[in-house]
Amino acid sequence: MPTPGGASERERYTWGIGFLLLPVVLWEVIPRAVPLPRGVRLFLATPSEIALAFVRLVEQGEFQQHFAVSAVEFLAGLGLSVAVGLPLGIVLGRSRLLDDVLDPFVTTLNATPRIVWLPLLMLWFGIGIWSKVMIVFLGAVFPLLINTYEGVRNTDRLLANMVRSFGGSEWQVARVVALPCALPYVVAGLRLAIGRAILGVVVGEFFGASRGLGYLIASAASSYRADVMFAGVLVFMALSLALTLSVKVLEERLTRWRPEATKTF
Amino acid sequence: MGSRRLVLGGLSVIAFALSWELLLSTVVRWDPFFITKPSLIAQAVREQILGGHLWRDMAVSAQAFVVGFVMAILVGIPVGAVMGWRRRAEYALDPLMTALYASPLIALAPLLIITAGVGIAAKALLVFLLAVFPFIFNTFAGVRCTDPLLVSVVRSFGGTERDLYTKVILPGVVPYLVAASRLAIGRGLVGILVGEFYAASEGIGFAISRFGDTYRLPEMFTGILVLAVVAVALTSVVRRLEAVVAPWRAGQRDR
Repeated sequence: MPTPGGASERERYTWGIGFLLLPVVLWEVIPRAVPLPRGVRLFLATPSEIALAFVRLVEQGEFQQHFAVSAVEFLAGLGLSVAVGLPLGIVLGRSRLLDDVLDPFVTTLNATPRIVWLPLLMLWFGIGIWSKVMIVFLGAVFPLLINTYEGVRNTDRLLANMVRSFGGSEWQVARVVALPCALPYVVAGLRLAIGRAILGVVVGEFFGASRGLGYLIASAASSYRADVMFAGVLVFMALSLALTLSVKVLEERLTRWRPEATKTF
Repeated sequence: MGSRRLVLGGLSVIAFALSWELLLSTVVRWDPFFITKPSLIAQAVREQILGGHLWRDMAVSAQAFVVGFVMAILVGIPVGAVMGWRRRAEYALDPLMTALYASPLIALAPLLIITAGVGIAAKALLVFLLAVFPFIFNTFAGVRCTDPLLVSVVRSFGGTERDLYTKVILPGVVPYLVAASRLAIGRGLVGILVGEFYAASEGIGFAISRFGDTYRLPEMFTGILVLAVVAVALTSVVRRLEAVVAPWRAGQRDR
């Protein structure tokens, strides 16, 4: 059994941080201590080399340039998916007919990796930012749509009817019952959508792009600049973690009242 | 209610295909480099199934997928079980694994392909990297949800450590594993596709991107359709399984 309070918490942090740092330290030390074959050395950059590469990229302004392109694609795609996913989720949650009619499309598109549309999107929207915006949109819209739908569907009938019996309008039902009930689902959907959107940006920029962090990674990899490549990968990881964690904090604030079981998707 | 949904759903798919066909055959002047018609796609599907490289491409992709997926299971379950059962292991691995799970590991694709080549190894590794985390975290959650009362019962009746694993922990984890494979299938398919888009000489992802590059839209749609069918089939098999091993989760839609 855990000892309540300090000792256990401290142990948790020590082990956790230790095992986060351990791979970094090993990664730095091993290539210095052990003579690795040239083939391996070519693909390996130690953390210090990666940090230097990152600083160099920032100083030259190259990083900012790529970052700006990726950020625009991310925000435009995510914004579009919120603008489409939320209303559509509400409509599908409220209308049986539309739900039944659109269900095969939603289910099939959601089950199929959205990356599969990338070649087609590149044909339609070219190799500029719009094909990336569209792939981000396709990836991010379904978690939002489906979670909003679930949230609307799970509105407590009893509470809704009570508002109605006390003379409340449909608008009041939506505001007092449906919206608070659906909000945590929507935020959970947003968290998933952010992950998918970042995936879309990375993969979209791997192919037929000339700017963006994904392009930076792909082009560095094909010219054997391992330090630059890892710098790009780590920036993506850091951004993804920061965004996901901040939505998670928001989510926990909004879902304090929900039973544990419904929190894990 | 179920049949109503099926009928309306089927009708809407047919209506969609028909209006697509009619719109392009009669009203709009269309450019074969940008869009194609369902009838042409159907023809391409038939050609690809009868001759063509379709089966070969699918076999190549399936091989890499299965290898990566099995590796993910073989690694993910033990790691998750240790994390769930040993407190120190949880403390040590949880932050690291959470960080890796939340990061877009697909960004490593170019590195993997350039180091491991365009063959099966890089793709399998990519599938493994993406699919292993759902198994780790779901096994972890499943072990943690083991009823302590049942553990005490086994212990007080003189059960061995082995009984504990085979009779209490494992049966409790199974539903979590089924849920994990549903997530892992989706992630694994992304790995295969990206790997084959990036660099490959065969495989379904390669076929789709090559047909796209050469403006052969009916063939490209064939690839997309095949992949959609496979994805939907795999997902619904897992969902059926889930309804059997974890009836309380049935009815929830895919997230």
